[in-house]
Amino acid sequence: MREVTQQEKLMSIGISMLALGIFPLIWFLSQALLFRELTDAISRNLLVVFALIIGSSFIFFLFLGMDKIIKLAPKDTRDALEARMFVGPSLFMISLFLFYPAVRTIYISFKDRYSNDFIGFENYKWAFSDPEMIVTIRNQIIWLFFVVFFVLLIGLVVGWLSDRLNKGEAFFKSIVFMPMAISAVGASAIFKFIYEYRPPPLTQIGIINGIRVSVDRGPTLPGIKAGEKCMNNRIIDGEFKDFKNEDCLNPIGWLQQRDLSNLPFAENLNPDNFFSSILVNLPVNTMLLMLIMIWMFTGFAAVVFSAGIKAIPQEIMEAGQIDGASEMRVFRSIVIPYIKSTIIVVGTYMVVTVLKAFDIIYVSTRGDLETNLLAVKMLDEFSKYRNFGRSATVAVLIFVCVLPIIIGTAIREKENTRS
Amino acid sequence: MKKPLLVSFLLLTLILGACGGGSLEGEEVSITGALIGTDQDGFRAAFEPFMEETGIVVTYQGSDNFEQEIQIQMESGDTPDFALWPQPGAVVDAANRGMLTPLADLDIDLEQYQTDFSSYLVGLGTVDGVIYGGANAANLKSIVWYQPAEFEARGYSVPATWDEMIALADQIVGDGMNPFCFGMYSNGASGWLATDWMEDIMLRTGNGVDSYDQWVNHEIPFNDPVVKNAATLLSQIMHTEGYVVGGTDAIVSTYFGNAQDPMFSKDANGNPGCFMHRQASFITGFWPEGEKAGAGSVTTVFPFPSIDASLPAAALGGGDMWGAFNDRDATKAVAEYMLSAEFYNNVAIRDSNARLSAHTGFDTSLYAQPINKILGDTIAAALSANSFRFDASDLMPPEVGAGSFWKEMMNLAVEGPGYIDTALDTIENSWP
Repeated sequence: MREVTQQEKLMSIGISMLALGIFPLIWFLSQALLFRELTDAISRNLLVVFALIIGSSFIFFLFLGMDKIIKLAPKDTRDALEARMFVGPSLFMISLFLFYPAVRTIYISFKDRYSNDFIGFENYKWAFSDPEMIVTIRNQIIWLFFVVFFVLLIGLVVGWLSDRLNKGEAFFKSIVFMPMAISAVGASAIFKFIYEYRPPPLTQIGIINGIRVSVDRGPTLPGIKAGEKCMNNRIIDGEFKDFKNEDCLNPIGWLQQRDLSNLPFAENLNPDNFFSSILVNLPVNTMLLMLIMIWMFTGFAAVVFSAGIKAIPQEIMEAGQIDGASEMRVFRSIVIPYIKSTIIVVGTYMVVTVLKAFDIIYVSTRGDLETNLLAVKMLDEFSKYRNFGRSATVAVLIFVCVLPIIIGTAIREKENTRS
Repeated sequence: MKKPLLVSFLLLTLILGACGGGSLEGEEVSITGALIGTDQDGFRAAFEPFMEETGIVVTYQGSDNFEQEIQIQMESGDTPDFALWPQPGAVVDAANRGMLTPLADLDIDLEQYQTDFSSYLVGLGTVDGVIYGGANAANLKSIVWYQPAEFEARGYSVPATWDEMIALADQIVGDGMNPFCFGMYSNGASGWLATDWMEDIMLRTGNGVDSYDQWVNHEIPFNDPVVKNAATLLSQIMHTEGYVVGGTDAIVSTYFGNAQDPMFSKDANGNPGCFMHRQASFITGFWPEGEKAGAGSVTTVFPFPSIDASLPAAALGGGDMWGAFNDRDATKAVAEYMLSAEFYNNVAIRDSNARLSAHTGFDTSLYAQPINKILGDTIAAALSANSFRFDASDLMPPEVGAGSFWKEMMNLAVEGPGYIDTALDTIENSWP
């Protein structure tokens, strides 16, 4: 292959700039200007017809023009330029729909309510001082930690155990995987019914409260069978029966509990003791909402892990067993290291999912009583409080949280391709 | 290639030009709003006689995501001809951003409009003396639901004053029952029912509507003694042992739509779970299916009792308000029609209708449901006496009215009377 001369190199750079930069820009701008002028000049219907015709031919002429320019380039560099020509538009689209909005969101986050004036870091000061925002950030951290941890843990255990099953593994796994097929909105609605509360004389339709009100707390009197004195209020023999009794437990609005104070076993906890003060202030409603997500994603994690475990060569496992390693030891020293990268991938996916978690909160509590998450708070600031600056600030916070994960994934990808 | 295209464009322009004649026949006017379901059908029906008469095609499209959508439409400039907002604050907001056309430019007789809908309602859609908002429907919140038969059977009488209501409540507790239904959980808006209570009490204490207006406009602080007095009275209802069915836990945990269900559920002795439920007129839509027909007869309302006898009777309510985005001739015609007394005729006669006209000259005998006639008369009387006031939390800045006020009322319910000062101070500090 002959050496590419300096002159040819320059020529190809010039042509690539012309073909991939200047020409598309001029072509695009000319269209934009044309339509800006036309919008007010001609009637709407005519404009639609125009837009249909020109819009559909736009891409065609764009590529035609770029191709014509590239044809002018020296033969050797033409292939590379043509490849770039096809990547170019998608890169442009990504920057238009992802990069530009991201930059603009950051820009808006430094402006006031209606994006009129710059207010410096006021919105960020608000984000870390407003009591509601602090609770929201606290919840987000609790969610990140617990949901990711439990999904990975339960997923691993289920994946490992299901691999040990002699038969019915597919059935078992599909049962565990089933919640994944339900949308988050549907799952939240299901759990809302589980946690449902009705004021006492009414029949409790939520299963937890239904069981709860049937519990007899007092000493069972001789002659009275347990479960007779306390029952869910309901119509028996055509008559509504109210099982009101001092010894029966009251129903609890589960999604309205911000701490344990309404639960009987927490009554004896001492709030001055550091450990029990954490327990007393345990945000019950947030925990119960996290359960929805854990329930939904455990099956997914289990199936992925189970596939990873299946890929472990049987010889290594057998070697371990022959050396006398216990089941636990095999799990820790062979299985975990072998599927480490799978764990990281699932973990990454879960972290991003939790940061984006929106539908569960939106459907179940809408962020009331200290259950809010950043994604819902972002929408609240936009539509409820009509504060675009703050809304953008919350969006930036989410973005900043996701950033390390994106970078981490990118680095890992690079290492993987290298090795 | 070029020439036939040009010719077809010219032809198209000609055809389109021919359609836009002098008459309004065939003109289209679009309205968007938050009314959906039966309310949407009712609103559409209201335009039927108008469309027949003028030939203007009025399309209404409701969406339960309306408030977000109209924000985006205004940002992008792709607005309908009218938007019907569920509260006037949004009209003022849009007018401030220069989006709306003043009613004067729509050739509306502003003086007639003020007499028809009361200067107070008109004032809610006014920015710097320019009227932008058109009042439409209203609802009444100053009402307490009860079942007359249950009252009569036990010899209870309908309380006319706060003291009588408290005395009655004590009597009911003494009889081993619970007087009040109270549930204020509402996804994303929990606490608004308590703010309604506060507003009703505020209208009837201090200087009545005057101190109410001062409170709304933040001319007196949120922790002013008048407001504190109102919070104390509310706390009396929420926290007195035995007053609320299910106890304090039930207040924060019960979904507001289910709150009245205990009233309809009788125990073995035939006693209902509660006797009184203060809630706006739209609650009938949340009742169990079998009870809906009894609205206005089996289960009906008495006005929220007066507290300070020296103050005139006041009414608290809410309502819709529309704003126009242009001043086309068709838009003008529709605006004039929407402000006429006849506008609600076709809506009122519908069985499913639960919305009330805010026009004081509206013929309330047209309402198909008896309860609506009672409510409509009350609203018209209060509007004429200029003692109708809008939901304060809807008029306050959203950080307070849809934020701290709601939130602190929830906290107050949980924490008890000792929390009143903290709650009011927190709300005062959150005022922007």
